[in-house]
Amino acid sequence: MATIEAAVSLVRARPRRRPLRTAAWYVVLVGMAVVTVFPFAWMLLTSLKGPNDAIFSVPPQFLPSDPTIDNYVRVWNQLPVARFFLNSIVASVALTILGTLVTALAAYPLAKMRFRGRDAIFYLLLATLIVPVQLTYIPSFVLAVKVFNYYDSLPALILPNLAAAFNIFLLRQAFRGVPNELLDAARIDGANEIRIWWHVMLPIVRPSLVTVAIFSFVTSWNDFLWPSLMLPTMENKTLPVGLAALQGVFSSDFRAIAAGVTMTVVPILVFFIAVQRYFVRGLAGAIKG
Amino acid sequence: MIALNRPLARRRFTPYLFLAPALVLLGIFVAYPIASVVFYSFTEYDIVRDPVWVGLENYERLIDDATFWKALTNSLVYLLVTPIIIGLSIALAIAVNRRLRGIHLFRALYYVPAVSGSIAIGISWRWLFDTNGFFNGMLLAAGIIDEPVQWLADPAFVLPIAMLLTIWAGIGYYAVIFLAGLQNIPEDLYDAARIDGCTDLQTHRHVSLPGLRPQIVFVAVISSLAALKVFDEIYVLTNRTGGILDSGVTMVFYLWRQAFRLSEAGYASAIAIALLLVTLAFSIVNVRILERGSERD
Repeated sequence: MATIEAAVSLVRARPRRRPLRTAAWYVVLVGMAVVTVFPFAWMLLTSLKGPNDAIFSVPPQFLPSDPTIDNYVRVWNQLPVARFFLNSIVASVALTILGTLVTALAAYPLAKMRFRGRDAIFYLLLATLIVPVQLTYIPSFVLAVKVFNYYDSLPALILPNLAAAFNIFLLRQAFRGVPNELLDAARIDGANEIRIWWHVMLPIVRPSLVTVAIFSFVTSWNDFLWPSLMLPTMENKTLPVGLAALQGVFSSDFRAIAAGVTMTVVPILVFFIAVQRYFVRGLAGAIKG
Repeated sequence: MIALNRPLARRRFTPYLFLAPALVLLGIFVAYPIASVVFYSFTEYDIVRDPVWVGLENYERLIDDATFWKALTNSLVYLLVTPIIIGLSIALAIAVNRRLRGIHLFRALYYVPAVSGSIAIGISWRWLFDTNGFFNGMLLAAGIIDEPVQWLADPAFVLPIAMLLTIWAGIGYYAVIFLAGLQNIPEDLYDAARIDGCTDLQTHRHVSLPGLRPQIVFVAVISSLAALKVFDEIYVLTNRTGGILDSGVTMVFYLWRQAFRLSEAGYASAIAIALLLVTLAFSIVNVRILERGSERD
């Protein structure tokens, strides 16, 4: 990963002596930013509108003339929003920690050991990348209800998603970059494989582990279809499922819906801004030529 | 790999012990379900009662089912988002790959849709495109239209709006990937191209694009697989209906509706098998390329 950081810091910018050109770039960048952010801004503005503000008008009214947090209060009182948050956090954190461990365990021998069936296992893993996960939902639903008894509870979101083949693939790539000499040295010192994995391999590939963890977290946080099948009770829903329910509860109350959307988007944005560095770096490392 | 003075048997089992948790989980949650879906597709099944063998009945029904063909067509049309996303996100990556004041803020902003989740952005788009929504308000005010357009109530618009949403939400995410790729291209190559008198456009064509090949392959695979599986956007934009005249129904949406709304899990399993076959056919080429790219390092 050090090479990537070096490469990133090495990106040399040519001195710009063309103010017009720079201005033109800013126009492009700002235009794109407006397109990207507008739906969220519209939600935020709408969520602050009081009963005297038009939500549908020609031309549309942008700023609330009578700003209020009333809409937020209404959503908060009618839906267990705090529970949605808690459920999302518990499910995503558990999945992230356990999933990273399981995939890091599996990736190590695939990267660094020779054993019978290694290639077969690796290709099978690759093959599972292609299988649309929705294909498995009918049997997984049956398993959840009849075998594991975790229907309508958070383990239903965690267990089926722990062994993400994509993460195994990503970590295998990272492990492969670790010099064999390091492993051999550790083996000569008498360390067993699990110690090598924990004390040598994992610290070296930490940036990739962080990437996998962030990927897992964001994917789990935003997952919708499977949680919507598994969590019928309002108190047990995660944020996206609760959001979809919000549309049902407040059917045409656009102000409340906007407040609900804003409430759920802001925390994940804050989280993302905090970890953005790792995310970008991880993506860079994941797909080298 | 060097052999050390360790009991042979133990060393031989070690790799499998590392792999065991993942393989067991994949066995339960991927391999077993695939086998079950194949079985269910030959049965009449409502998830509650035991499946009843009906042979090829579900598949025969599939062939005569206009909605299924509509869903298949829609899913294939949805693949058009892939080349558009690749083109636009490369352009965006090139645009932000320069040292301008505040560039990090812009990069972060472009990423907002990718992390805010499909349900949240789907809801916001649904209201923008509402008959009484923002876009009609603007278009009416500007005098471009006289009557509100029935965006999401018009079969011609449902799928294109969903695709637009996917593209809009994906560009920032994929641009980060391309940006990382651009930054790994040695600056010397750009210098050389400039010395040879290439214009900016030519430079990007002859230096940036070849340099981005691994990223392009990756994004092509990931975004096309995602396009074949699209569900959330359709679900939210059409308020769970699939759109008027099923105009927005995709393979996964149809699968979901048959299995979990109409309790026809047997028939839905046949749809799932069709989805698997389409994805397999589409992916065989893609995966070969991905493998070749990954084995090179």
